[in-house]
Amino acid sequence: MGASLPPKEANLFKLIVKSYETKQYKKGLKAADAILKKFPDHGETLSMKGLTLNCMDRKSEAYELVRLGLKNDVKSHVCWHVYGLLYRSDREYREAIKCYRNALRIDPDNIEILRDLSLLQAQMRDLTGFVETRQQLLTLKPNHRMNWIGFAVANHLCSNVAKAVEILEAYEGTLEDDYPPDNERCEHGEMLLYKSEIEDQPVAHGGIGIHRVFNSLLFRHIIHVREKYGLFKEELFLLQGIKSVVLISLLEECGFLERALEELHKKEPKIVDKLTSKEQEVSLLVKLGRLEEGANHYKALLAMNPDDYRYYEGLQKCFGLYSENGKYSSDEIDRLDALYKLLAEQFTWSSAVKRIPLDFLQGDKFCAAAANYIKPLLTKGVPSLFSDLSPLYDQPGKADILEQLILELEHSISGDGRYPDRTEKEPPSTLLWILFFLAQHYDRRGQYDIALSKIDEAVQHTPTVIDLYSVKSRILKHAGDLVAAASLADEARCMDLADRYINSESVNRMLQADQVALAEKIAVLFTKDGDQHNNLHDMQCMWYELASGESYFRQGDLGRALKKFLAVEKHYADITEDQFDFHSYCFRKMTLRAYVDMLRFQDRLHSHAYFHKAAAGAIRCYLKLYDSPLNSPAEVEDNTSKATQKKKMKKQRKAERAKKEAEEKNEGSSASGTSKSGRRHIKPVDPDPYGEKLLKTDDPLSEATKYLKLLQKNSPDSLETHLLSFEVNMRKQKILLAFQAVKQLLRLDADNPDSHCCLIKFFHKVSSMPTPVSDAEKLVWSVLEAERPSISQLQEKTLSEANKIFLGNHEDSLMHRAAVAEMLYTLDPTKKLEAVKIIEDSSNKVVPTNGALGSVMEWKLKDCIAVHKLLDNVLIDTDAALRWKVRCAEYFPYSIYFEGSRSSAVNNSLNNLDTETPLNGGANGPDIIQSGNAFTSNGKLEAFKNLKI
Amino acid sequence: MGAGREVAISLDGVRDKNVMQLKKLNTALFPVRYNDKYYADALASGEFTKLAYYSDICVGSIACRLEKKEGGAIRVYIMTLGVLAPYRGLGIGTRLLNHVLDLCSKQNILEIYLHVQTNNEDAINFYKKFGFEITETIKNYYTNIDPPDCFVLTKFTTPSQAKK
Repeated sequence: MGASLPPKEANLFKLIVKSYETKQYKKGLKAADAILKKFPDHGETLSMKGLTLNCMDRKSEAYELVRLGLKNDVKSHVCWHVYGLLYRSDREYREAIKCYRNALRIDPDNIEILRDLSLLQAQMRDLTGFVETRQQLLTLKPNHRMNWIGFAVANHLCSNVAKAVEILEAYEGTLEDDYPPDNERCEHGEMLLYKSEIEDQPVAHGGIGIHRVFNSLLFRHIIHVREKYGLFKEELFLLQGIKSVVLISLLEECGFLERALEELHKKEPKIVDKLTSKEQEVSLLVKLGRLEEGANHYKALLAMNPDDYRYYEGLQKCFGLYSENGKYSSDEIDRLDALYKLLAEQFTWSSAVKRIPLDFLQGDKFCAAAANYIKPLLTKGVPSLFSDLSPLYDQPGKADILEQLILELEHSISGDGRYPDRTEKEPPSTLLWILFFLAQHYDRRGQYDIALSKIDEAVQHTPTVIDLYSVKSRILKHAGDLVAAASLADEARCMDLADRYINSESVNRMLQADQVALAEKIAVLFTKDGDQHNNLHDMQCMWYELASGESYFRQGDLGRALKKFLAVEKHYADITEDQFDFHSYCFRKMTLRAYVDMLRFQDRLHSHAYFHKAAAGAIRCYLKLYDSPLNSPAEVEDNTSKATQKKKMKKQRKAERAKKEAEEKNEGSSASGTSKSGRRHIKPVDPDPYGEKLLKTDDPLSEATKYLKLLQKNSPDSLETHLLSFEVNMRKQKILLAFQAVKQLLRLDADNPDSHCCLIKFFHKVSSMPTPVSDAEKLVWSVLEAERPSISQLQEKTLSEANKIFLGNHEDSLMHRAAVAEMLYTLDPTKKLEAVKIIEDSSNKVVPTNGALGSVMEWKLKDCIAVHKLLDNVLIDTDAALRWKVRCAEYFPYSIYFEGSRSSAVNNSLNNLDTETPLNGGANGPDIIQSGNAFTSNGKLEAFKNLKI
Repeated sequence: MGAGREVAISLDGVRDKNVMQLKKLNTALFPVRYNDKYYADALASGEFTKLAYYSDICVGSIACRLEKKEGGAIRVYIMTLGVLAPYRGLGIGTRLLNHVLDLCSKQNILEIYLHVQTNNEDAINFYKKFGFEITETIKNYYTNIDPPDCFVLTKFTTPSQAKK
């Protein structure tokens, strides 16, 4: 490095490198300038200066200098290395890899560059390349532990497990006489554990033999270590125990059950984690078919913890009384019942032993068991009781039984304060919890008016229980009155300002009611002072960003909606990015098992539900943007926005100044060596807070495609992914890709109304296209010709016929009828009236129930709203839409959308709230004072009327 | 009542984070809407204002104001004391009042007083049990409830008693 320079300058050059490594950038800059004074064209110095400037946030200068340096000295590996580092700092890993490769062409044995390259290869999952680089590193420096490990891990990641084990063993061989120094003992142990973990895979290569070798090696090692370094006895014990557990679970994984069990018994006294060893033992016994022993072991485990559902499940398996879907024959039910009765006698304190039978018991027995289970919990006051029981509502009939049961209890308690057939009086709160349960019960069944009357009764009984307001808010949300739901949630929040959960819930409800500004204000109450909104972003508060993005989308503010969705997408990109630091860190610290886990987690990161939602939201925004592009830019940017622009500029300038100041400070502190990470804590001001720039994209569809690809790769089994793919590709005229989406939809759910629509739309569109002219078009055509007969829905049928058959198959479903109607209209716009008729002829059936109160309707509010939008916007029949609205307002009296008679859209004051309680808990309302002079305590009149002393 | 079943009753202070609980109680218990000064006084009185919890449910409260008399001595004015209807008769009111009385004796506060509507015999009897006595009658104290008159109930303690 710096070889072409005279000695004085060569020393200066070394100083630049050193200053860069120690983050003393100013010093480095000075040295660089000193060299450049004499040798203004020296390439390596120019490059290093650029790299230094890059760390001082002078990006454009940096790139300029580095490129200039490279131009002046294209044969220098330093210049290429620097160029690679520059790209790496900007996360342009592919470019960086290219640069490193160029550098290595010049200096193939440069350890540093090889190491940097290997990190990037791991990050980009260029696994073959990773193995090669690691092999090279090992060949160059075989005396470094890290290189052995690195090569082994690389092979492991490449699924070359046998090789990985071989490497580790070879390495261990070199250690026989020379045990790791004291300070590396821990790392070494980690390596052994790691090895044992990957060893489970080479079954075909005589895995057991390797285990044996490994085993003896490990013990020899442990004894050595102990002798040499006086390792504490307990520590040794622990190490052996952990090792045994890992080894045994590996044996179990590769199916060597007998051996695993043997090993377990042999090592039992050494294993410290007794519970794990017992659990492992029983799992082995069951796998070996030694069920009787297994059952006894499970009983022993239950004696330790009688509320672990897994033990019960295991015990059932041992008795051959377990089915995945929870369905049992009546004989099996009897046997299960007997089993649990026996267990209940033994484990009187267990709640699981009482709860589980509710899943399989039926009829009268279920009723009795439920009563037995529920009553004490109502007495005790367990707010989560309904969530506990709510899975039972999926089983036919059980909801009715529960309803009867609880209503009986309510009747009895409100009569004489006792449960039926009991002499003991219940505490006053029992009635409250019964009402609370009933409200949730009716909510679940869609009987919102009864649910509300029950919850109001409960509030009247005890107005101080926060859960009541939360549940009422949820009922109103389900019933379609989002505004009232938001204000109820806020009322709950006001009752305990220190509770983050109800704060978040209230924010969420406000966002659902599109009160974004208010929601932001409330959310900020729990963020750090000062930097408020950004804080939610920095904390990666994704539910908030998703909910507000969706709200903006509903309000038509595509810019801000996109902004929020992309923010979530960015979090995921950041998480991917975050792994970079671990490639080197984990090798150094030898946390190999965690490292491999982390890499596998990262590989499926984007299949997470929040990412899916964000990507789908962003794609929808782009589709909408494509369908109705912004008006001419001049119109959008009228005077008002100019004013805001000015403000923005001002803000930006201010921020830049602050940034500079902070930078100087940072420089100072890093020079003194306090800032190790070298990370900057200055927040750049968002130059585009309303997403206006995002909206100005020239090609929204290609933006959408970016996210679509991620969805297709990571959520291939979601209907939504392919619906979006269909929409995007139809607009892009990518016929074959759209066809692929249709095929995926049919694969996932051919009966879904949306799948049907896509199918019909697709072939309708194809049939209306001009006859193919170019070769490419002809090719597409021939593919479709060949594929169409394979689609069973369309075999020898016209689209109209297929549509009709679909209607015939799903005549009773509203959403299917709506889909058929839409397609009818799409295929032949003259049939609009017929289409409207198909929708209006749908009937909202009453779901059969023997419930004592009211009736349950089949239609869902969400679906009815969708149908209304279809009538209004697609079929464009305002009369029909109005008729539909009136009809639905009757079904959903609380719905704001349909302006139902009991929704807050109609009643200005929220008739659902206590008349005495002002909106939002009265936090802002002025209190009314009755008498000016004194505070009356005449309330005692009430308070003590029933006081019995 | 509730024979054999001991439900824990506990007291908790009022802070700005949970003052809404007190408001909810007052709305349910009293036909009067209290103003901000009431809540400011209650918060300022510290330990003299308490919420009562029946297991984990907030069911009653006592709210006091500390008043400075001429000469510097402090007296306690009980602004409100109430328990939600379903939870009466469980000793919760007694528990709340005793808490304040104990505090007074500990802090050497010699005078506690309150207002009560003249026809509220239950309340009057309740307080008499704790040593309160009618010390004054104020005509037309209340503006729109009948009867509009109230008694002032006061409990005096002698210093020697207080320092036991």
